[in-house]
Formats: sequence, C-alpha cells, structure tokens
Amino acid sequence: MASGGLTLRRYAGGRLLQAVPLLLGVVVVNFLLIALAPGDPVATLLGEYPAPPEYVARLRQEFGLDRPIPVRLALYAWNVARGNLGFSFAYRLPVATLVAERLGNTFLLMATAIALAALVGVALGVAAARRPGSLLDAASTGVSLAGYSIPDFWLAQLLVLLFAVALGWLPAQGIRSVREEYTGLAAALDVGRHLILPALALSFRYMALIARLTRASMLEAMSQDFILAARARGLPERLVLVQHGLRNAALPVVTVIGYNLAFVLAGSALVETVFGWPGVGRLLYDAILQRDTPVLLGILLMVSATVVAVNLAVDLLYAVLDPRVRY
Amino acid sequence: MTTRLLALVLTVLLAAGAGAAAPAQPQSGGTAVVALGGDPETLNLGITTGYAVGAVAASIYSGLVWIDARGEFRPDLATAWTVSPDQLTYTFTLRQNVKWHDGRPFTAADVKFTMDEITGKHHGRFRTAYANFESVTVRSPTQVVIRLKRPYAPLLRLLTVFDSPILARHLYEGQDPTRSPRNNEPVGTGPFKFREWTRGDRVVLERNPDYWNPVYLDRLIFRIIPNAALRVTALEVGEVDQVMDFYLPKTDVDRLRRNPAIRIRLGQPIPSIGFLFINTRRAPLDNVKVRQALAMAINRVQIVTQAMGNLARPARGPFGDGFRWAFSADADYNRLYPLNVERANALLDEAGVPRGAGGERPVRLRLVYDSARAPLVAAAAIIRDNLRAVGITVELQPMDRAVMIERVYTRADYEITIQTFTSGGDPAIGYHRIYASAPPGTPFVNATGYSNAEVDRLLGQAAEVADQTARSRIYAEVGKILARDVPTLVLFDEIGVDAARATLRGLWTGAEARDRWDAVWVQK
Repeated sequence: MASGGLTLRRYAGGRLLQAVPLLLGVVVVNFLLIALAPGDPVATLLGEYPAPPEYVARLRQEFGLDRPIPVRLALYAWNVARGNLGFSFAYRLPVATLVAERLGNTFLLMATAIALAALVGVALGVAAARRPGSLLDAASTGVSLAGYSIPDFWLAQLLVLLFAVALGWLPAQGIRSVREEYTGLAAALDVGRHLILPALALSFRYMALIARLTRASMLEAMSQDFILAARARGLPERLVLVQHGLRNAALPVVTVIGYNLAFVLAGSALVETVFGWPGVGRLLYDAILQRDTPVLLGILLMVSATVVAVNLAVDLLYAVLDPRVRY
Repeated sequence: MTTRLLALVLTVLLAAGAGAAAPAQPQSGGTAVVALGGDPETLNLGITTGYAVGAVAASIYSGLVWIDARGEFRPDLATAWTVSPDQLTYTFTLRQNVKWHDGRPFTAADVKFTMDEITGKHHGRFRTAYANFESVTVRSPTQVVIRLKRPYAPLLRLLTVFDSPILARHLYEGQDPTRSPRNNEPVGTGPFKFREWTRGDRVVLERNPDYWNPVYLDRLIFRIIPNAALRVTALEVGEVDQVMDFYLPKTDVDRLRRNPAIRIRLGQPIPSIGFLFINTRRAPLDNVKVRQALAMAINRVQIVTQAMGNLARPARGPFGDGFRWAFSADADYNRLYPLNVERANALLDEAGVPRGAGGERPVRLRLVYDSARAPLVAAAAIIRDNLRAVGITVELQPMDRAVMIERVYTRADYEITIQTFTSGGDPAIGYHRIYASAPPGTPFVNATGYSNAEVDRLLGQAAEVADQTARSRIYAEVGKILARDVPTLVLFDEIGVDAARATLRGLWTGAEARDRWDAVWVQK
C-alpha cells in the first residue's frame, strides 16, 4: 500500500513537471498573440480626450510598452516565474488582487454548474439507458439535443425573462441583493438565490453532454457478461444499475467532465457577463475590451494551470474508480 | 415617424406636468440603485474622463460650480466668482466650513493643489483648459484666483466636478495620483461618502450628514450590469432605479415609455453628434466635389428613423444644432445638401470618377465603425445602400473599439468612418479638435487630415471670445467654410434618453444625469 502511494506520488510529480514547459508555452504564445493583435492599451485607456504626446510616452514607459516585444516577453516570463502576475493597466492594481477577488465567485458558479450537470446528466442518462426506446429515453434525448444546440447566453436571457420578469421568482442579475443587507445564513441563501439562474444556464450544455454519454456508456456496460452474472445472482436491479453498471460506465463520463472544464470556464465568461456575476470570466471579457494585457495574460495562465491540474486529478481519480488502473 | 416623436415628447411633457400638479415634499431615507455598464476603473475623478467613474465619483467629490438643467452655472464649492474685464482673472470665493469626509477642513490650498498637480496634468478635458492657465493663487483659505495667459471662453464649464473635481491635498500630496490607494477609497466633499466597492458587483455610497445642502437618500448604490438588455430588465423589475442615457439601449425605449412605473427624460442638455469622417488624404476623397456628393447621397433622415429609432435629429450643420447660437443658416445642410441622388451623381462625374460599364464608379470606400454599437451598425448599412445608388462601393469594416481607435486615429487607415462625439457642453471643448489642423496619431483628434488655416484661426478666436453674440458670428463664419468643405459630414444630433423608476423623485436637476444626487429622494 505504501509503495502504491509512492508510485502514485511519483506519477503525479512527473505529470506536474511535464506541466512546466506546457505552461511556459502558454505564456509565450498568449503573450505574442496579444502583443501582435491590433489595439493599443494606452489609447484605449486614455479615453475620449486628446493627451499630450509626452503624457502618452510617459504612460507607455510606465507600462513598459516602449520596449521591444522580446524584452517584454522575457521580463513577463521572469516575473511570472517569481509569482508576480503584474499590474493591471486599467485598474492600476496587482493582477493577482483583481483575480483573487473574483476567483471564489467563479469557482462557486462553475462548481454548482458542474455538480448540477453531473447529477442531472447522469440521472437522465441512467434512466434513459434502463429502457432504451422508451418515452423517458426519447425525452432524455430531446432534452440533450436541446441542451446541446441552445447557446448558453441565449438560454440565459430566456431564463431571466421567465423566472425573473414573468414569474418574479428569482433575481435577474448580480450575486447579492442590493437593497437588503443580509448576514450569516440569510446572506448565503441570498447568494444561492442569485446563483440558480446562472448555474442553470451554464450547466445545461454539459448536462446534455453527460446525459448522452452516460446513456451510451451505460448501454455498453449493461450488455456485459458481469451484469448478466449479477442479475443471475439475484441482485436487486438498483444495485445492478448503480454498483455494477454505473461504476463501469463512469470512466468516460469523468474524463469528459474533466476535459470540458476549460469549456465551462469559457462559457462562464459569457454567462457571467449576461448575469452580471462578478467572476473571473467577466474580468477576462472586460480585459479584452480594454486591452488590459497583464490581466488577460494572468487569467489565461491561470485557466491553463487549472486545466492541467484538473486533468491530472481526473487521471488520478481513474485509479479510485477502476481498480485495474495502477500507476 | 415625426408623429411618433411628437407623441413621445407629449408623453414626457404630460408626465412632467402630472408630477408638477402634485408637488410632493421630499422625504428622507431610502436607497437609490443606479445601473452602470461596467466597473469604474478608479474612483479618482481627477485623472480620468471615464463615464462610470464620473457617475459614481460626482457624488463623492465637488467641483467649484455645477450646471443646472437649463445650462446655468450654480455655486458648488465656490459660492461666488468674479471675472475681470479683460477675461484673464477669475476670482472664486469658497464655501465656508466645508469638511472633507475624513473630517479635515477644505481650503483654497486644496483647489490650487488639485489643479496644479492632478487635474491639470491628468484630466483629459481639464488639461485643455489648464493649458491656458498662467497661475492658480491662494489669496486666503476661502479665496482662490485663476489667472489666464489668454481668454478662454469655456473655462467655467470646465470647473464642474466632472472636469475639475477638487481632491484633498493632505491625502494626495507627494504621491503619484494615478496610483494612490485613495483612488479606491476616495475622500471628497460631496453629498455622499464612500463606503464599499466590490469590483464587478457594486459601489455603495452613504449620506454625508455634513453636506452644505440637505441630502435625502441614506444610500446611493451603483450596480454593475454589463449586459445592456439586462439593465433594462433590472429597471423594469425594480432591481435598479435608474439607467442613464449612456447605458440605455435605445431599442428598449419604446417599451419603457409604455410602462407607467418608469419615467423617462428626453433630450439631455449636453449636445452630442454623430459624424461621418471623410479621410481627405485619400483620392478621390481629397476632391471636395466627391465629399459634397457623399453629403447629398447619404440619407440622414433614414439614418435617424431606422438606425437611431428617432432618438436623434437629422444633422443640419458642422456643429449640429444643439447649440442654437452656434448654428447658422449659411451652413444649413438642409439648404446645401438636401438628399439629391441626381446632383450627387453629377458631382461625381465632374470629379472625374465616372461610372464604368457595370454602372459602378472606380471608388471603393472602407467604412470603419465600432461593432459594439448597434445604432452605428445599422447606420453603416444604410450608408452602404445610399452610396451604392450613386455607384460607390462601400466595404463595411466593423471592429472592436480598441482596433477602431488604432485604425482611424493612430494610422488613419480608412476612407470613411462613423464616430460620435460629445460636446462637453461647449463646441470649443468637444468639437474643435475634430476640425482644427493636427498631425495624425492622436485618438479623438482630427482624423480626416483636413487642414485650413482660416478655420484654425477662427476656431482659436471662438475659444477665446467670451461674448456670445461675437462667438455666434465666428461660428457662423467657420460653419460656412466647414459646410462647404465637408471634411466630416455630421449625420445626426443625438437625443439622450434617461430612464428611472417613477418612485425616484428630484432627478435631473443638473445638466448631467450623473449630477446632483443630493436632491434625489424616494417616494414611499
């Protein structure tokens, strides 16, 4: 057992080491893409009134934009290596501060959306796989198709129209109520109420994806001999489905959830913007419009690091789900 | 369409009349929530002209004067001012017993420090005024004197909180004002004190009990809602109480008008106009006949009705018609450039760009515009169709704002572009930069390459002369030249629309919707 833990640690360590050149590549490619893209951060920052050339030159120098691109890249990479993500042009605050303020909000939104997608998606998929061709299966397929085809920002607006405007059940936007000030549990419930619509909008697509995949994976697992064996032993159907079917069907589903995390994050940029959810996705969107390069690079780097970490976690999770997998 | 506009105006007048019929006593207490489209980048209004910054910080800081809805100057931190006969010396008497939100007394030294060290160096609009300054002198703790190198007509206009907010010397002295921690926790002398700023979510202000005027609201909250449609939804369901013109999608105005819970104000007192800039450096646009042909081929009325939803007036001259005194019949587009496809065709033939075999002329224009602004997108399509009728091919080039600035102003790499400009309350503040000669490369300054010594001379004069009749004459003269040369074709004068919940009273006493929240109260 101890040696198993050691190899697992060695495997994880190796994977983390592999991530270093990958992240360096991310820094270099993103930096160059942004540096070469049209649009001048200083001009965007200055606003609608002319500034004297000396003033513009001073800003350019302050932001380090007067240096050649390779020098800027090297300096940036060096700073990142020391854990310094730089200073926002627009807010004039450290990028780390800006991101840290919002990371929790994005995490809350993403985690809720993914949990929702996984729970409902798996349930739908299992239910559909139980009786292929049944009405429930058709309904699940229909929901999946809709979920896969509807753009999340459009769904978001529809949800607002229905639940906030027509029914008045839920707030239309934001993360907390403005007029009332809650504390403790009431404050948490208030955030929860604000969370429902954005999480639903963000999760729908993945719910569909997971439902489809679970159904296919379940159908395959349920046709295996060990299921026949389990049934022959007289196990209750629920136990057969969950313990034997689902556990075997779960591997591809977990993989897909992991690999789609980056897409969930991308989707959160849209959903956060639609719902006024103060998260990292929206910060990213604002940073693009304002050409706030340090913020943009900082967030992209963070996203890449998260994806690497989650994929590693998914690989490690295999070993837990499938006793045949050893590292 | 005109009837619709008329109906709109009538509705507003009636609504205003109804309000006047039952004059209610202002009530203390309550919260007002104002929608913003994005975070302010800072809360130091002394270093930026950003709209969101002004929206929040105008209630935290004060200027020397404020401008009411009729355009009159009113005392703010300055209770009185005198101007010397040569227009070179302005003496301000300051309000007594004013305290900063941290309790320290406000004095004339704060005024001098702010102008010399902060707004004069860092504020985009105030910098243009400060360039005319000889000195700012503290004569006593309650008296400050501004001496000018040359007369500057719009000076007072640039002493409001939006252009020269007064900042606390004791908090900013010896620091880089662009990086001061105070920029995120501002201390001012205005009607509301700063309490909390959660970026991406809200800024919360609370009543300043020591303000020189009664303040009714307990709290003034700015809610950040980036999605334009959702800002209107939030107003309709009561999550916010006001959406200012700048943040209000015009397509929703019709719907809001029919909602009895919403009150709207049409026609903000600060004129702003939409232009078609014509790059005069590029053939055949260097030929005035071609530019005049564009003016006759482009249907300004169609742009107003179809692209602007009637929330604009078809433009009538190089400075629009928002400043009546700066408008002259000699420069009237209706007379000079009525829609006339035949005449436009003839002018183009004369200019040496005849139609080819396919009916097309050898003129291909790239039309650049900000793709995020729906009315401009619609206007661009109309212009393309209009110009196709005279054989000119237009290639639409929508792009995001940052790229647009670079293409139009930094590189002048375009043939025609749609731009909107606010006057800032005076043509000399907002519009001169469009027409005065300037080397290329500066954002929001002359992008057409037009240069005319006579125009430069007249614009210089117009900025210096204080007497309005004399200014009128100068603008008539320069307007005539600009209307003839058409370096830019003004397309429309915008009609601003502000919307608010009907329960919010005392709104819009200032020329700016962002100003005078001390007077606002909630009807319970």
